[in-house]
Amino acid sequence: MRLKILCVTAFLLSGFNLTEAAIRPPGTRPKAPGMHALTGGRVCIKPGLILEGATILIRDGRIENVLPQDQSSVPEGYRVWNMKGKTVYAGFIDPYYSSGKKAKPVSNRWVTPIDARAGVNFTGLPTTKEDMGKKGPGYEIAEIQPHYRVSETFTANPAGFEKLRELGFTAANFIPTEGIIRGSAVLSLLGEGDPNDLILTPKTTQHFAYEPGKEYPKSLMGVIAVIRQTAFDTQHYIHMQNWAVKNPNGIRPEYNPALQSMIKVIAGQGQKQLAIVEPGSVLMISRTAKLAGELGIDPVIVATGHEWRRHDILEKVNFPFIVPVNFPAIPELPDEEDWKEVSLDELRTWDWAPEVPALIAKGNRDMALTLHGLSDHKDFRENISRAIDRGLREETALAGLTTIPAKLTKSSSFLGTIEKGRVANLTVVDGASWFDPDNPVSSVWIEGRNYQVNTPKPVKKEKGKPEAPKGKHKPRVAKEPGDYRGAIGKPKNIIIRNATIWTCGPSGVITNSSMRVTNGRISAIGDVIGPVTEPDTVLIDGAGKHITPGLIDCHNHSMILGGVNEGTLPSSAMVRISDVVNSETENIYRQLAGGLTVANLLHGSANPIGGQNAVIKLRHGELPDDLVFKEAPLGIKFALGENVKQSNWGDEKKNRFPQTRMGVKTFFINRFTAARQYLEQLKPGDESLPPVRRNLELEALGQILTGDRLVHCHSYRQDEMLVFLRTMERFGVQVGTLQHVLEGYKIADEIAAHGAGASSFSDWWAYKFEVYDAIPYNGSLLHERGAVVSFNSDSSDLARRMNLEAAKAVKYGGTTEEDALKFVTLNPAKQLKIDKWVGSLEVGKHADFVIWTGHPLSTQTLCEETWIEGRQYYSRSYDAKRSRLIALERTNLLLKAREKEGKEQVSDSARAAFFRRAMEMSHSLNNCYQCRKEKP
Amino acid sequence: MKELLLLVGITLAAQGELILYECAMIHTADQPSIRNGQMLVRDGRIIKVGTEINPPSGTVKRDLGKLHLYPGLIAPATSLGLTEINAVRATQDTTEVGDFTPDVEAWISVNPDSELIPVARANGFTHVLVAPMGGVVNGTSGLIRTAGWGVEDMTVKPRAALHIWWPTLSINTRPKESLRDPEKYKSPKEQSRKREEKLREIDRFFDEAEAYAKARKADKNLRIVPAWEAMLPAINEKQPIMIHANYERQITSAIKWANKRGYKIIIASGLDAWRVADQLAKSKVPVVLDNVFRLPQRDTDAHDVNFKAAGVLNKAGVKISHSVRMGSWGATEIRNIVYAAARSMAYGLPREAALRSITLNPAQTLEVDGMLGSLTPGKEATFIAVDGDIFDIRTNVKHMWIEGKEVALKSRHTRLYDKYRKRPKPAAVKGAE
Repeated sequence: MRLKILCVTAFLLSGFNLTEAAIRPPGTRPKAPGMHALTGGRVCIKPGLILEGATILIRDGRIENVLPQDQSSVPEGYRVWNMKGKTVYAGFIDPYYSSGKKAKPVSNRWVTPIDARAGVNFTGLPTTKEDMGKKGPGYEIAEIQPHYRVSETFTANPAGFEKLRELGFTAANFIPTEGIIRGSAVLSLLGEGDPNDLILTPKTTQHFAYEPGKEYPKSLMGVIAVIRQTAFDTQHYIHMQNWAVKNPNGIRPEYNPALQSMIKVIAGQGQKQLAIVEPGSVLMISRTAKLAGELGIDPVIVATGHEWRRHDILEKVNFPFIVPVNFPAIPELPDEEDWKEVSLDELRTWDWAPEVPALIAKGNRDMALTLHGLSDHKDFRENISRAIDRGLREETALAGLTTIPAKLTKSSSFLGTIEKGRVANLTVVDGASWFDPDNPVSSVWIEGRNYQVNTPKPVKKEKGKPEAPKGKHKPRVAKEPGDYRGAIGKPKNIIIRNATIWTCGPSGVITNSSMRVTNGRISAIGDVIGPVTEPDTVLIDGAGKHITPGLIDCHNHSMILGGVNEGTLPSSAMVRISDVVNSETENIYRQLAGGLTVANLLHGSANPIGGQNAVIKLRHGELPDDLVFKEAPLGIKFALGENVKQSNWGDEKKNRFPQTRMGVKTFFINRFTAARQYLEQLKPGDESLPPVRRNLELEALGQILTGDRLVHCHSYRQDEMLVFLRTMERFGVQVGTLQHVLEGYKIADEIAAHGAGASSFSDWWAYKFEVYDAIPYNGSLLHERGAVVSFNSDSSDLARRMNLEAAKAVKYGGTTEEDALKFVTLNPAKQLKIDKWVGSLEVGKHADFVIWTGHPLSTQTLCEETWIEGRQYYSRSYDAKRSRLIALERTNLLLKAREKEGKEQVSDSARAAFFRRAMEMSHSLNNCYQCRKEKP
Repeated sequence: MKELLLLVGITLAAQGELILYECAMIHTADQPSIRNGQMLVRDGRIIKVGTEINPPSGTVKRDLGKLHLYPGLIAPATSLGLTEINAVRATQDTTEVGDFTPDVEAWISVNPDSELIPVARANGFTHVLVAPMGGVVNGTSGLIRTAGWGVEDMTVKPRAALHIWWPTLSINTRPKESLRDPEKYKSPKEQSRKREEKLREIDRFFDEAEAYAKARKADKNLRIVPAWEAMLPAINEKQPIMIHANYERQITSAIKWANKRGYKIIIASGLDAWRVADQLAKSKVPVVLDNVFRLPQRDTDAHDVNFKAAGVLNKAGVKISHSVRMGSWGATEIRNIVYAAARSMAYGLPREAALRSITLNPAQTLEVDGMLGSLTPGKEATFIAVDGDIFDIRTNVKHMWIEGKEVALKSRHTRLYDKYRKRPKPAAVKGAE
């Protein structure tokens, strides 16, 4: 007799082959009988429902019935297992398990600014199939392999499975581990047997990871661009197939298994394959939310452990999360001095970590737990109990091990609860709860078969190192970063009186004057400002003070996440800085403290056509998308000269086109011709033509041709700049700015006549051969000849004193003080075409201004207050307090940490994890990997 | 094309000639500044500084009008002359290989025609210390003038200091999996052993150098070893040892080392020096700062921590000088050292101390204050005339004298500026208008 199994995946539940003889030949071990009764235990049917003393009947691998205590007389014929004193849960499921060595969290260790190489055979044409990476058909980028299936090579790992069973796991979703779009996972039992028997569902979830590689994409923004392009390619693939049906004699569509597999991910129509995304950083969680909407994917997020940095992101996204519990532990450092170098951020991460699961679970979010990222399984239960200590409900945690992973792997109909008809997967623990790590798992049941578990011996407590008493973890000391960010004041009205106002507008410098701000806009400037009667008005006495517009930096890389260059390909027009604005770096505050309010975040100069830039306002504390200067036109970074021809990249790197200035021009002509043709193709036309593939690179270049995107071109030598201007003129394009433009003074008239802005260093020179002729008079001379000149920083440090850079235009070449100040206010605003809103103090413009203690061009002057749109983001008096509080927080955290030193029963890998750095912080701390080799 | 030493006025050529410079203000650097000051100079030496000098007849008067006189500026740790273009390897002579190369002499490789030298001079720098990079005990530096026909007449003080690049004592705590090359991972314990070894290596080297010095004294026929010979001035004659170190534990370990061995040291770079200001003051260790314009290194640091550092050190009684970072980039930026001092001044360094930090202090630190560093009778007439406050970026150095001789302030930059300022509007542009 066999049960009739009503389940979509019933055919997979092998081992019950109806035609196979029940009796095996002599010499083989006979199959164990399939009828069991587990009696007298505490049965947790599902999270929140416990039946004390219930009896579970198992028959042929399925739960036949669950009898409550009062009617729990066991029917005849069942083998009885006494569960008294034990608790029985539905078998645990890990939704994100990888057995291979590569189960590392996403990192950006390959991301560097300029050290990059193109795909071997990249020709600079719209698509290339030569760089397939792997054999066989597929996507042009090897990291995109959604067609890969873990099931194809899946084999049981008896020793590994036994370790998982020791923790109570009975099934796991085995994930792919390589690439960006990685392929489909397989759901398998963790029992003994061959793969055919063990696999429950061969294709469950699809997997994404924002993991830059060694070739394109080598940056985080490149990863996002590639995902975006893949989704559009999939749409095109679908359109082509439909078109081919209608046009059987037309162009034969390609076969692309990668795009074929993506169809279910982006266009499943209710039956979409879930996309499990490993974002690698907390900001990329909100980016994923945006992408999900744009591309039509259903994401599940793998938590980074850094979610505490931005509670608001968690509040904004409602996706399910899979949460690793790889909490860092206090490291053992060789001596006292080494402790001094432990950063506040590391201490905060450590102190917050156990609280992160509770934070994520807030608001009834679906949350699963995983072993992923945990090098040592022994930490698993201990860490979950720490998470419970810090607010995670036990019920939620249990759901995270049972019902939620079942839901995410679409196996709720046969896994996750102890109910009639479910696969008989059970986790049995001694005592009342699995969540007390001292209660050993005594056995697990997998598809009705009992597996005894080797109870690990309790760790011997070392003498003199008493363990911290359980359940008494000290409350959190760490603050939220948000506590020290954001506007300090946001009054409705501001009135400044008696100040010297550098308007940078037609009114020039007006002394002993006043300015009024209403609702973030400048509402009046001049001697007569009405009476101060309105409520919510801040009155500032400006006696002795100077007021200038907020400073604007036309060339800045300080707030970019995961690499400033996608320098692999000669054109990376498809990558967008706006995808990777880093709102978390302390650089924002530091630059605000120097009076900076607007920054043009540019892609690097590693390739002739770089990525799309983002103009931002330094609204400290806001999320990346809210930093973006909404009104600013789109732009893109281009570059000429030594960097793009790889002159200083080392001797091996000399095979990417272009290698000469001749080639640079050739390349531009090629790309703009392609872009022009692309625009032609997009025009509505003959229905019988095959659908056009949306090409994000050419789309961006096309926007340049239509005047919708400004070009900011890194350039040094006069000849290359002139050639570039002429080339662009040929395509009817006016260049937005020449960046660096260090030999601009040699062709000042031509630059002025073309109308390109000149955004220069004040006085950098001689760092490369092409800047041997750079002179500090460049700005003044260009200005004299009628070009719109700005001074920029290209340096996170220099951006903190752009007013002093402006003073160098007075020193070198005698630009007037008023005009010199415009080099860092109105002129960069004009160059970025945002002067309608910022750059000068005029009625109607944004109230972005700085209060200085004295003359803005004097080295003795300090920035006293920085305001953006009527909100105060920096004040010197608040800064002193802020610094003290931050230092105090570290002192307190260090005290707490040192108490734990050497007392925690954790693995060495947990201790090493203490120094795992959030991507967002990689620029703000010591030993910044990324800054080391940066060259302008 | 090189315009270097320019003698101004035939009267100067005559030996024994007296010249009286008159100006709006003399900033002596060791005495209070003198309004409407006068300075009497003869044979390249300052005779008198004051207001009512009655010069003997025949004295040539030089009226400098509204200009301010300052001592020539001194940059006490640079790679000037050893590098031309950062990215062009062929132009690099800054860095030697080998850990222990005390017999390397940096100043002898200065390219007298480096375009970087006149650029440094143009903003007031009359002297720079040229020091070697690379290795641990890596050679000696020399003080040079920024004007001259060749290294020999530019060199003011050879072997001014012996240089040690103190080993990094910080542990790289990055977890193994996040390293670019995980195979290179070393545990904190291993790294701790390594750093102790490195410090022991330095001790061992100096032990051996001392043994050599002892043997050398006793045995006239001892075979000469150039490397050990180069160590003798530091060991026998109190030649200062400049220790390049940024982090707190490097600095404290260097101070401890020097105190134990009785050496005279200077700390260069000194990012964290302010954190141990009292220790430095107590041990009378001068500091050469090159980190004013640098982002804070710790996430608990205030944004202005490096602007304040000089003020903190000065207040504690440490003799501070300002310089640039060693290497190519720094060599192009010597002219901006003045503004590192100026910025420190805005953040608590008194004006007099700021002036001394680029004049008298580096002269004292390098033990050339008998001749340089202040406008003091008896010292060299090495000075500059500025059209205002030298700490204001908007001012310019108008004249420079080194040992009484006026030196041109033209450079590659002014030459190119003059050339292209005169460029007529091109026909193509005119036509378009």
